[in-house]
Amino acid sequence: MFALVLVPFLVEAVGVFWPAFQGISLSFLHWNGIGPATPVGVKNYVDLFSDPIFLTALKNTAIWIVLFGGISFAAGLGVALLFQSERRGVGIYRTALFLPIVFSLVVTALIWGAFFQPNGVLNNVLDAVGLHSWTHVWLGDSSTALYAVIVAALWREIGYVMVLFIAGLKALDPAVQEAARVDGATAWQRFWHVTMPQLRSVNLVVLSVLIIDSLRSFDIVWAMTRGGPYHSTELLSTYMFSTAFGSHALGYASAIAVVIFVLAIAVIVSYLVRALSEEKEA
Amino acid sequence: MTRKTTRWLTALGSAIAATALLAGCVSTSGEAQQAKSGPDASGPLILQSRFTDAEKGGLDKLVKDFNAKGEGQVKVNTIPTTTFNQQLPSYLTAKNPPDVYTWYAGQATRDFADQNLLLDLSSVWKDHGSDFPSSLKSLSQDSSGKQVFVPTGYYWWGVYYFKSDFQKLGITPPKTWDEFLADAAKIKGQGVTPFTAGLSDNAWLASAWFDYLDLRINGADFHLKLLSGKEKYDSPQVRKVMAAFKQVLPYFDPAVLGTTQNQAMSDFSQGKVAMYLLGAWAQPSVPADKQSDLGFFQFPTIDPSVPVAEEGPTDGFIASVKTDKPNLTKKFLDYVASPQAQTDLAASQQGTYLPANSKASLNLDALSKQGKDMLQSAKQVTQFYNRDAGDAQQTPADTALTSFIAHPENLDQILKDWDAASAKIRATS
Repeated sequence: MFALVLVPFLVEAVGVFWPAFQGISLSFLHWNGIGPATPVGVKNYVDLFSDPIFLTALKNTAIWIVLFGGISFAAGLGVALLFQSERRGVGIYRTALFLPIVFSLVVTALIWGAFFQPNGVLNNVLDAVGLHSWTHVWLGDSSTALYAVIVAALWREIGYVMVLFIAGLKALDPAVQEAARVDGATAWQRFWHVTMPQLRSVNLVVLSVLIIDSLRSFDIVWAMTRGGPYHSTELLSTYMFSTAFGSHALGYASAIAVVIFVLAIAVIVSYLVRALSEEKEA
Repeated sequence: MTRKTTRWLTALGSAIAATALLAGCVSTSGEAQQAKSGPDASGPLILQSRFTDAEKGGLDKLVKDFNAKGEGQVKVNTIPTTTFNQQLPSYLTAKNPPDVYTWYAGQATRDFADQNLLLDLSSVWKDHGSDFPSSLKSLSQDSSGKQVFVPTGYYWWGVYYFKSDFQKLGITPPKTWDEFLADAAKIKGQGVTPFTAGLSDNAWLASAWFDYLDLRINGADFHLKLLSGKEKYDSPQVRKVMAAFKQVLPYFDPAVLGTTQNQAMSDFSQGKVAMYLLGAWAQPSVPADKQSDLGFFQFPTIDPSVPVAEEGPTDGFIASVKTDKPNLTKKFLDYVASPQAQTDLAASQQGTYLPANSKASLNLDALSKQGKDMLQSAKQVTQFYNRDAGDAQQTPADTALTSFIAHPENLDQILKDWDAASAKIRATS
């Protein structure tokens, strides 16, 4: 019995725990990857909070979780409710929404990059309908770039969340809905008091997926803006990457990685603890 | 909170605390390395290359010819350029690293050499040193003056334009800053954008402007001091550079920060943009039917009393000090330094590359000849921002220059941040 656990534990230990420990211990050093490292205690962590780029990245990551996570959740649930029932042609809509998932994020970034180009589709359409004053250098302007990237990321995520919700909705017993209808519940009451409580375990999965996806978002930002212009679209993940492999400050980059790790663990653990204890009460 | 999760969280907390104690256990010490002596180990020599498919024809021929000599076998391992540049520190610090690498001269090489990661190549220089221009000698040394780099070639930077477009616009290539600004105004007046750059995916291109303005206003000596941290970015000299940069900003494509390099090249090739400050490497991306129309002029003089300096980025090869085949490595690099090998390498670069060995025989086209003359007449040759300052300094430079392009009014803050970021990288990396 113990030996059965030991094998996966050893694999985990070599592949996950040991590198993670190394990453954490690196964060207490100054190291450029080639020379000797110097221990600096918690200086990397102290420096983080006077680093304007880190603070921008932290703020952008928060915006990202709220907008990307929130809109994905709401829109995914919305389209799932809309497309859950089997009607003629509904498969086409579902496929259309799910299709972006099959593209790699880098391809998605290329498509949306072309869309947001200074003379790309979006600006041309705005010009054509007489809204020239709305045209923008979407990805090159620090006030719009982050939101432009979020739109591209949403395009992909909504279909994914929709599939998770449709699966959840399909598993519900239609008799419960029917009973509520017979009792005279309005559509909103049926959704809020009948459907949502039954979806609790699906919500848990979707929220965890969204938070993890938000915190590990990297490729789409890197491919569309590389965190620019002048760090205005920097997320913690992209800043960590460019600090480690652009500036060769591996200790400092590890400190950023630890912050990401702590954020992810904190959010997920607190959510799991709450959800599990609620389940126990119920 | 259930008891189980409490216990789990306690375990997590103590694990983190334990790791803090482990700090320093990672193999982060830069232990001194000794080059292996005695006979070579068996097996082929591994050459780690960043050349793209378009460029590697010459390298393949060079390696094939060397292998045919029967002195040993060389195997080329091609890695995409960006990955290669990021991974080189990991390769060199690995236990059994590849033997030979393509790399850049100057500070980029010195950074590794000073950590004692590179093989001493003085013997190659003893045999071929007299064939290389003297300026390449100091670029190939570590801080103690030992040769650790074998140059293969270099290229030039210039302000590119199309001759037919200039004719239509009534412009002749300017020589001075005032003529340059007047021409830009004249071009803009005719509804054509004077300058562009692909800053959305290649923000480092802005450093070309900074480098040239600093070289023309403050000279190469100040420039190199600034880039090595001995001068400050919020100094009056740099302010003069930024003031000149501000003079040309109105002539840039207003969408320059959102323009990709592909887009910028296509705007330039289609005549929507009249001039583009570029390195010779960009020439092949101009459509074939416009190649003969392409021209460039030397970045204009701003202060005639400042000795003319040019950017002449130099490429070449380095070898790992840990190689278990030092004799074969030196034999191979001896061949790389030879006129024949350098001719082969340059021949595959579509006229954008000048061989470092002066005895290499290559028919130069008009642009290469102009580039060679320009570099030979220059009083001083610099490499490029990231090669002179060290690659890690490129990010703060990109941040400073792109935010200056968007908000030139924030100059004070931008220069202060640049100085702080640059000093911090010097201190922490």
